[in-house]
Amino acid sequence: MSQVPGLRRARQLTASVLPTRAADAYPSLAAGRLRKLGTAGSTGMLPFSGSGDGAIYFRDGKVIYAESDRTPGPAASAYKAYADGLPPLGRIMAVRAVTEPIIDAALELFTAQARHAKFRSARLPDVGLVSGIEVETLLAEIGRRQRLMKQISAVLTPDTVISRNPHPRSDSVRISAGQWALLIRVTHGSTPRNVAWDLGRSVFCTVTDAYRLLVLRLLLAAGQVPEHGLAVMSFVRAASLKKGDTMPVINARTAAEDTL
Amino acid sequence: MILNEAEAVLDPVADIEGFLLGCLVDASTGMILASRKDQGDISLPTAAAGAADIANVLSLLAGELPIDGLEDVMVTFRSQLYVIRLMSEDLDPNILLLVILDRARANLAMARREIRNFCVNFAA
Repeated sequence: MSQVPGLRRARQLTASVLPTRAADAYPSLAAGRLRKLGTAGSTGMLPFSGSGDGAIYFRDGKVIYAESDRTPGPAASAYKAYADGLPPLGRIMAVRAVTEPIIDAALELFTAQARHAKFRSARLPDVGLVSGIEVETLLAEIGRRQRLMKQISAVLTPDTVISRNPHPRSDSVRISAGQWALLIRVTHGSTPRNVAWDLGRSVFCTVTDAYRLLVLRLLLAAGQVPEHGLAVMSFVRAASLKKGDTMPVINARTAAEDTL
Repeated sequence: MILNEAEAVLDPVADIEGFLLGCLVDASTGMILASRKDQGDISLPTAAAGAADIANVLSLLAGELPIDGLEDVMVTFRSQLYVIRLMSEDLDPNILLLVILDRARANLAMARREIRNFCVNFAA
């Protein structure tokens, strides 16, 4: 009779029959699935379930929407604002309001290693004029955000309990309106994720802002703080790539393309 | 490509003498929202990430020193000029404009004026 516990034995058997379910290789397999759907110009929905439920919606091979039950979705007005005639700055802000929740949800699905199910046709959400995000762009942005989260993960994750520091280090600190909104919503047992839901902001954005507030000693995180203090989060370090990786270049256009 | 029309907003910046690269960056997340590039050998992601880091580090000074908010940053390299400007003080999250210019061809004073005017018109 086998000495291997039943649950572990079941996992071993599952892994041998369904190699795509191996935990360590799963993100690259999911990325490969997205790439195939993009290349094929697919339209429909790729559902995810497991650690976090959600779905990624495709139209003609581009990602037009993503949702996760662990991240807030876009504001109801976001797509309407995007569709309306706006000045350039308003349009850029509308672009951000539409794309940030999509990328945030996709990041969560990949980070939580939710399992994707069979791609199927589905009624697509009404996203107005949004043309969609290229799969490679989305994957590159997810990779960049994961590297950034990894930098700070020893101190702060979306689910780390945070609290306001009753004894701030300095009398004079300048913070943004978004950081202030975050700060005043922190109560007993708050985490960046539930504050993000309160604010209707992306979880990633809330984590990065919370980390900045930790650096300013306006917030405290549960657990040990490194003796040498907190390092400033670096986007440049997150942009460092392994050979062969790509980085997100949204809306890039070269002079050569302009002349076509 | 996401949001094809977003890149067109950077057309006026691309007309600046010596223009090499321009992009709009979300200062909070470091995400590039739109970009224009006239030269292939500049790493847009690295340049944009650097601009966001510089702006974030300088914003830490704002509470410690008697300065009234960051307006723009100019970095001079031997062959290039980097101009980083906050699109608007009132935005949250703030959007940064990064413009990289060829130092041999650009007039920094004129370029800065054009970038400032662009930002004013951009928000109007």
